[in-house]
Amino acid sequence: MTATPDPLRIVIAEDAAIMRDGLTQTLTRRGHDVVAAVADAEALRRAVDEHRPDVAVIDVRMPPTHTDEGLRAAQAIHKDHPGVGVLVFSQYIETQSATELFASAPAGVGYLLKDRVADVSDFIDAIARVAHGGTVLDPEVVRQLLTASRRGDTLAALTPREREVLSLIAQGRSNAAIAAALFISPKVVEKHVANIFDKLGLAPDDNDNRRVIAALRYLES
Amino acid sequence: MSRSRARPGPVPGTSDYAGNVLREVSAWLHDRPGQADALLAVALLVVTAPQLAAGGQESVVNRIAFVVVTVLLVASVVARRRYPVAAFAVVAVIAAAQIVLGVQNGGQAQVFALQPTNADLAILVLLYTLAAYRPRPVSIAGLVACLLGSAVAIARWSPANGPHPADALFAAAAGLGGLTLAAWVLGDSVAYRYRRAYYASLEERAARLEAERDAQARIAAAAERARELQEQRARAVDESAARLRRIERDLHDGAQVRLAALAMTLGEIKENLESSGDDHTLALVGAAHQNAKDTLAELRDLARGIHPPVLDRGLGPALGILAGTSAIPVRLTVAITERPSPAIEAMAYFCAAELLANAAKHSGASRVAVSVREQDSGLSLSVTDDGDGGARLVPGGGLAGLRERVQTVDGRLEVDSPPGGPTIVTIDLPRHA
Repeated sequence: MTATPDPLRIVIAEDAAIMRDGLTQTLTRRGHDVVAAVADAEALRRAVDEHRPDVAVIDVRMPPTHTDEGLRAAQAIHKDHPGVGVLVFSQYIETQSATELFASAPAGVGYLLKDRVADVSDFIDAIARVAHGGTVLDPEVVRQLLTASRRGDTLAALTPREREVLSLIAQGRSNAAIAAALFISPKVVEKHVANIFDKLGLAPDDNDNRRVIAALRYLES
Repeated sequence: MSRSRARPGPVPGTSDYAGNVLREVSAWLHDRPGQADALLAVALLVVTAPQLAAGGQESVVNRIAFVVVTVLLVASVVARRRYPVAAFAVVAVIAAAQIVLGVQNGGQAQVFALQPTNADLAILVLLYTLAAYRPRPVSIAGLVACLLGSAVAIARWSPANGPHPADALFAAAAGLGGLTLAAWVLGDSVAYRYRRAYYASLEERAARLEAERDAQARIAAAAERARELQEQRARAVDESAARLRRIERDLHDGAQVRLAALAMTLGEIKENLESSGDDHTLALVGAAHQNAKDTLAELRDLARGIHPPVLDRGLGPALGILAGTSAIPVRLTVAITERPSPAIEAMAYFCAAELLANAAKHSGASRVAVSVREQDSGLSLSVTDDGDGGARLVPGGGLAGLRERVQTVDGRLEVDSPPGGPTIVTIDLPRHA
């Protein structure tokens, strides 16, 4: 693929050098500008303060404790620099961390399983969406939320296609993206969305980010 | 000295009859020392009474004095077991007084009350008592006193004045001396038996004490060993948990990262080929890419099975994630203020994971409640499902395996699962292994 017409300024925070370098090279090849690639949360904060990037791609586990430094840093960055998108990627799916992140930062956030880097274009697309203030939630997190939801009875009232649409809504997809993913027309998507919100008793919302939060709150409650 | 002994009953008409009666009486008296002494005292009084009667011409005062002396002698017999030395002393003093004041050359009593009487037999009884109940030096002193007294008495009584002086002297000496010696020897032999029994009992007691001390030492050693083993086990459990955590960390920092980078590169190659259009190579790279992604997923599951990294943040977050991946909705309550050791956290986590998987697979439950709370000695994990119940601990089964694992840290697992449900599995764990 060639470079996108809209190069992003990106900061990468990842303690494993091979992954840090690989990401840097790949993103650079795709025409983006990796302004800093750092190995810990402290350096990440400094790099963001200095460069004010469009988006920071952040590994959850970083030194010193290798627990959730990346998550905390992402929340802090989003608070201090609301214009900087934060995409957190994690070796393991931690639904709680994900929903926590989304609760504190309703726009310009993303949470992806680290494996997603393997599908390069999708991953870069997710980075771009977060950079532009969108929301990206890993399909696996959404799947777990749907499975574990105590609203099972209400969710059972949805048709299979409506569940698919709800899942894509929760992943942060726009109506157009949903239409493309399911090979249906945007009009049909709109109809599905209206039906879903009606069945779940949620107020309809055209804002993609706000409806992600509404869907997550619903699944979590 | 046993107070109960076998007593063969008297058998009239047999030759042993008399012997049996004697044994019966002796045994009866042996068991009732008070009554035996009272009988002896009465016998002494009876044999002394004629002598009082013989003094009919004496004054009332003399006769009362005679009675007082006799009663003292008899009373000392009654008191002999309790106060052997004092009773002997009383009798010895009376006897000495008799020798000095009661007997005169020519055999006429100076003082009626102090003439030798049959009650003087008490001397022999008390010498016997002294020999039987008091240490040898005391009893020998008593014997010497008695022999000396006898000699003086014979000298004072002086049978030498009689018709056959040598014979009479010899007979008196032999009689009195013999009786005295006999009383002493009899008593001493009883004492010897007592002493032997006493020493035997001492030896036995010493042996028992030694055995007890040995046993106590062995118990103390065993307790010490148990404590050592417990500490070693705790160290082993902690080390094993730490090693598993290290393995997961190594996988995360090593193989998983490299594989992710590889998958990313393959993904990029695949996308490049998609635009350049070599279908054959694209298919190969696509397969490699898919393999890398599948391996990544498998490796992740493997690493999480070794040590879920979220456990580093505590049991609450770890169980939260576990609940999120459960196939049936989970209501989770974690109420712990102090974190248990990492090994215990890992054990509680894996127990909860297995119980949740069990509930999802076998119970037919529509919801599960997982709760962790603190209790005095550690923490209590309970997993309750609203399924069909009937879960049992079967040897070799999953629950039995869990119980074995829990028991390695002295934990407990209880299953309450009546037919029809609900199923409650409770696991108590210490705070540290």
